[in-house]
Amino acid sequence: MTEKKLGPYQTLKQEGTYKIGYDKPTVDFKQIGKRGVRRYDGFEKASGKALYTRDVNLPGMLYAKVLSSPYARARMLRLDTGKAEKYPGVRAVLRYDDPAINGQELTGSIAGTTRMAPESAGWAMLPVKTILSDQAIFEGQMVGVAIAADTEQIASEALKLVKVEWEEQPFILDKEKALDSDAPKLISGADSNKIADEDRELTEQGDVEKGFQEAEEIIEFTARRDAHLWAGAELPSVVARWSGDKLEMWVHEQQPYLSKLILAEQLNIPMNKIHTHSLYQGCSFGERCNPSNWSQNGINVLAVLLAKKADRPVKLVLNRAEKFYGFSGDLMVSQFKVGARRDGTITAVQMNNLFANYMCTTGVEHLVENTKIPNLRCEGTTVFVNKPPAWWNRCEQLPNVFCQTLVFDHIADALGMDPTEVALLNDGCEGRDKSYLEDFQRENGFEPRDSLKECIAAGKKAIGWDENWHPPGTRQLPNGRMHGMAFTWSHDWDDTRGTGSAAVLIQNDGSVSIIAQHSDVGVNPWTTYMQIVADELGVRYEDIEINPFDLNVGFALMSPDGSCNLGSNGYVVKKAARKARRMLLDLAADKFDLPAEALDIEDSTVFEKANPDNRMPVKDVVKMAVPMLNAVGIWTEPPVLDWAWHTQGLWGMALETGRPRMCRQANFIEVEVDTETGEVCVTRVVNVNDVGKAISPETVEGQMYGGTYMGLGRALAEEMVWDPATGVLLNRNLLDYKYATMLDYPASDNIYIETGLGHGPYGSTGIGENTATMIPALLGPAVYNAIGKRIDDFPITPNKVLKALGKI
Amino acid sequence: MNADFQQTPNNLCPYCSAAFETFDGLKAHVVAVHKTEPLPKPDGLIQLTVNGQSHKLLVAPEWTLYQVIHDKLGLTGVKMFCDRGACGSCTVIMDGRPILSCMTLAIECDGKTIETAEGIAEAGHPLIDSYVNHHTMQCGYCTPGFITTAKALLDRNPEPNESEIMQALAGNLCRCGTYPQHPKAVLEAARTLKEEHSK
Repeated sequence: MTEKKLGPYQTLKQEGTYKIGYDKPTVDFKQIGKRGVRRYDGFEKASGKALYTRDVNLPGMLYAKVLSSPYARARMLRLDTGKAEKYPGVRAVLRYDDPAINGQELTGSIAGTTRMAPESAGWAMLPVKTILSDQAIFEGQMVGVAIAADTEQIASEALKLVKVEWEEQPFILDKEKALDSDAPKLISGADSNKIADEDRELTEQGDVEKGFQEAEEIIEFTARRDAHLWAGAELPSVVARWSGDKLEMWVHEQQPYLSKLILAEQLNIPMNKIHTHSLYQGCSFGERCNPSNWSQNGINVLAVLLAKKADRPVKLVLNRAEKFYGFSGDLMVSQFKVGARRDGTITAVQMNNLFANYMCTTGVEHLVENTKIPNLRCEGTTVFVNKPPAWWNRCEQLPNVFCQTLVFDHIADALGMDPTEVALLNDGCEGRDKSYLEDFQRENGFEPRDSLKECIAAGKKAIGWDENWHPPGTRQLPNGRMHGMAFTWSHDWDDTRGTGSAAVLIQNDGSVSIIAQHSDVGVNPWTTYMQIVADELGVRYEDIEINPFDLNVGFALMSPDGSCNLGSNGYVVKKAARKARRMLLDLAADKFDLPAEALDIEDSTVFEKANPDNRMPVKDVVKMAVPMLNAVGIWTEPPVLDWAWHTQGLWGMALETGRPRMCRQANFIEVEVDTETGEVCVTRVVNVNDVGKAISPETVEGQMYGGTYMGLGRALAEEMVWDPATGVLLNRNLLDYKYATMLDYPASDNIYIETGLGHGPYGSTGIGENTATMIPALLGPAVYNAIGKRIDDFPITPNKVLKALGKI
Repeated sequence: MNADFQQTPNNLCPYCSAAFETFDGLKAHVVAVHKTEPLPKPDGLIQLTVNGQSHKLLVAPEWTLYQVIHDKLGLTGVKMFCDRGACGSCTVIMDGRPILSCMTLAIECDGKTIETAEGIAEAGHPLIDSYVNHHTMQCGYCTPGFITTAKALLDRNPEPNESEIMQALAGNLCRCGTYPQHPKAVLEAARTLKEEHSK
């Protein structure tokens, strides 16, 4: 039987699919892993020259504003836009009953086979799915009408002239009461506010009943969490401009290609007619890749339709109050039952999780992926409440981290054990112990390392754990405050997915361009791509440039969702650089009159390996290799350009994907609790991350200390407060929605370990989401260790501390 | 640049219609020849010196200084972030003091001298390099506001200690959490300034 020869497409696919195993380096690292590499975006950002979507102003551009609902639940009985339409300076009015959008469920179906499908995605859980509806189901929802005018001020004034006759309807805010039979139903006529969600209903591994029988200690407890916000720097912004049937867009988007797909589906615009620019992104944290119609794609569609109506470019920027249109997937109540043997081996965990407005994680996933606990059972219920849709916030793993941390902290406490020992005892993967990971490492070319052990040892030493950790509520400091410490741990953030493509072009002056669209949300990605291309191609870092602001170049790199920015894109640029190197050597072979194999490239110079004095700068090799030149009288050659595609595969558990997570992280905290004021003062945070391989050490550390501030804010201060009487969100601004300033929390100590156990290029793994996701869960255990009272109700604000102490 | 941007009107003398190249020339003429002051001035006309360059602008009463600098002058280093004076991203230095341009009406700024991050960079201030070297930015949206605040600090206190730097920058929000790098970057810039000064 002859083997089927692969065609060009299948060859590309095969080359681009992640192959399980250690990605052993084949070049010497000169830029990769080096400190002091000039940060690509640094000057532009420090000098104010970096452009963001909100900075775009076009000739003749109009400004759009959208009406938002003043009620938590209400229906428009009558909408009169007559006065607004006549207001001087108003150029276009788009009403919910406009034929372009009336009644259409503009959710798009492009990701129909994933959890972003309309049937299961966060936004689509809610009963009103149109961009502009006449029905509001949360206060602040974009509803009814959008207006484009000569100035933002005129658009705002015109909105005030819109007359709406509302029918207020009963609403429900409390997730725990949403299932009561007398609770108002979000969908009129529905029996219940429960959302059918097969993915979440039941996760089971082993037999929990058997596990509890084997247990020598069984504990039960309940914990609650509230949602928080992305609260990124740049407000949601879009600019749309029509030119005939061509549409030009400037988008504040983490995933412009996905947004283009959805827009094409929503408005039936051919994708090749949409020319998208993505400038620098003023934060995202998952917000700007949120397919929620009320926010991201919603404003895109409105801007596009208004621009069409007015035949002028339209800019739509939501204001800070309007940006509170969603939140993290953390409206959650959990009931736990945990069984363990006295030696610390956990035999069974059962949890019941109630979520609101969110469908993405179950809460038990980290216990599955991280531990050898054989028996797990997790039941999940999701309900509707009259609050905005929930979605991932920096990471969707917050509920999983929260549940894992509480399970381990509570059981360690019940057993009177050091939580770091309980962690080490139960480390594993999908019910199997660490020997499974050791075997996997040996079989797949990884160096056998015990990542968790290394992380815990480093963290304990840094924070002085053995000297300072103590039983709960036992250490009062000279300043009168109670001292507390806590620890948590998890696996690495390798979400085992992500796809990207990029080309590497050697310009005919020898300079190198990386060609691909990519959205920068601040994780210093482009420096790392340039470091990789420099080392893999053999050119100087300074000779490389990237032009990532234009989706029309046809190549697009993975955005930083899925925790896989560098995890997939590192492979893409590495492969593209190696292919371009092959092209360059092939061309050089002619010039040197030697076989390509006899040549090498270093420091932007091609040379003969056997005779390094025989050398030629890259610029001389490619002098006539150009994409375009008037060739009269001169002989040109084809350009030196090649491209690559890479996929890290699909998200999933190790048993499905064949790839266990092997890198671990450990986070430690030290707090002082003021028992008079209820204030929790964080005095020290130590983050230890096994990142596999740090391509840019400063960037790794930046994500660790940056994530600490976000994490602490989420745990202690960031709170969305709704008025129970009206359903109105009371703190729609950054004075009342409090997140960390420089003075609020100390800088964290950050330790990274490089075991090479990641599935990313050179054994690397993700770092951008971990810290901010891990830190919030730590505060419950830390406060417990300080005061000896459990406050499993997050965020842990001073009033909850005082209540736990019986002082209020 | 917006279409509704209005250039300085012709510098014509309201008494004798003599034309002048500059507003200052017209003013000198009116004072000298017609013995009258103040010069009648169109409503909303202001003069700003921004990064060393003089601008005469007709502004609407409700325009903020941010709008004028960002939208009219095209200096994108002033950024709107919180939308209401809570974050420091729109900070510019006005007559030596860091102020929030989103909370300042442009019409009240006649005759003021203003510095933005662009001007600080053009002048080769060491803050820019020290910010880049210390990776004192992630998404970068708030960075120019930190730069202007830090520059104003160094102007009045060339050798601040870490605590003084943190106090000065405490009003600037950064969602990415780049906070620990700012004191390091500002201290380095202060050292460089001192070295340059002693040369």
